[in-house]
Amino acid sequence: MNKIVALGIVKRYGEKEVLHGIDLELEQGKIYGLIGRNGAGKTTMLSILSSQNPATEGTVMVEMTDNAGSTAADEKKDSQPMIIREPVWENPKALSHLCFSRELNTMVGNSANTMKVKEYLKIASLFLPHWDQKMADRYVAEFGLDTKKKISKLSKGMLSMVTIVVALASGAEFTLLDEPVAGLDVVAREKFYQLLLEEFTESGRTFVISTHIIEEAADIFEEVIFLDEGKILLKEKLEELLERAWCVSGREDEVDRATAGYTQHHVERLGRSKSVTILAPKMGGNGESGRADRPADTDMECGRLGRQPGLSWGGADVTVQKVSLQKLFVALCGEEH
Amino acid sequence: MSEILSQEKSIYIQIKEKIENDILRDILLEEERVPSTNELAKAYTINPATAAKGVNLLVDEGILYKKRGIGMFVQSGAKRKIMEKRKKNFYDDYVKRLMAEAASLGITTDELIDMIRENDEQV
Repeated sequence: MNKIVALGIVKRYGEKEVLHGIDLELEQGKIYGLIGRNGAGKTTMLSILSSQNPATEGTVMVEMTDNAGSTAADEKKDSQPMIIREPVWENPKALSHLCFSRELNTMVGNSANTMKVKEYLKIASLFLPHWDQKMADRYVAEFGLDTKKKISKLSKGMLSMVTIVVALASGAEFTLLDEPVAGLDVVAREKFYQLLLEEFTESGRTFVISTHIIEEAADIFEEVIFLDEGKILLKEKLEELLERAWCVSGREDEVDRATAGYTQHHVERLGRSKSVTILAPKMGGNGESGRADRPADTDMECGRLGRQPGLSWGGADVTVQKVSLQKLFVALCGEEH
Repeated sequence: MSEILSQEKSIYIQIKEKIENDILRDILLEEERVPSTNELAKAYTINPATAAKGVNLLVDEGILYKKRGIGMFVQSGAKRKIMEKRKKNFYDDYVKRLMAEAASLGITTDELIDMIRENDEQV
């Protein structure tokens, strides 16, 4: 499987529309970070991408390179491999390469509750055709999970561990993890990132990881997806995104002068001082703040890659600093609508 | 190669500078293999693509070179090259900032030169 492609996904629960037209492409061999506030639609989106939940509108497709049919006819060296797109829904071949490891909870009525960890993992192995039992055993040992315990008796951290074991041992080419570190302590979280990178560097599987603990996970993401109120706000290579995000602070009039033409996010004032977060336009494309009115020379300068943080920007007396992913997310998605 | 990554700079720049520092300090020797991007990724818990970006910058600068199927190696003369490059950047990276801070504190250039001489005598 080369890609998962979601086209115009809309999801309604009764009257309530949770996802408003999601277009998304997930490529093979990447670690994606999915970031959104509570209720943004992350879990719904992941469950639809993995066909555990039907979309109200739109489709999820997989893109595959067809090797099965390449026999005698393909012996010519220059023949192109065939790329085919198929819907994921009720498609056993595509589904065998997809794993969505949900967050477990011990709410009353959850059928997994009465199971022992061992039994839960056994069932997972039956549903996941590329399951690696040796790996599962190893992860259970690494986390020190007691497999004889009932799911209902597990702590939050242990529930997260079970979710992680299922995801990593699934062997699925596309593995989606919903808040895998939510219940883990800091040592176990570090362990998870290590295990994930180990599996990723060895297998090249694709991982999509939703998380609220943005800062410590940021470095492992190649791309990030911001989901805001049921819409994708942005999907971009993390390095490139952070290279066009800046925090500008100083005396209010100087800050306004330095950032004229940009949308000011997350404006904070303290006496005469002011600090704002801005997102410069993408290189070679229209940025989040399309600014036709800005003079060409400053436009070039502000959008330039590798711009150094420091003092003074465009002649104004301000402090310019890099912004962390977490701060940028808060600046873009934390404003009241 | 065990410094901690900071928030101030892009991660791939930091990876690049760490390898340079290791070459300057003889932790990595010329014609020696450097850690692979996967090894770097695991050591610093960062995405391998980020590590690769840093390493590739060093290949572009002729500090590292690729041996097909074996890995990345330190180019002979790399240490000298890094020192020359850093000397060139010294004015921009350090002197300019020093002067700007001095100016905002009302320290004259002569006073600054005296300070440097004084420090030199103490060492």
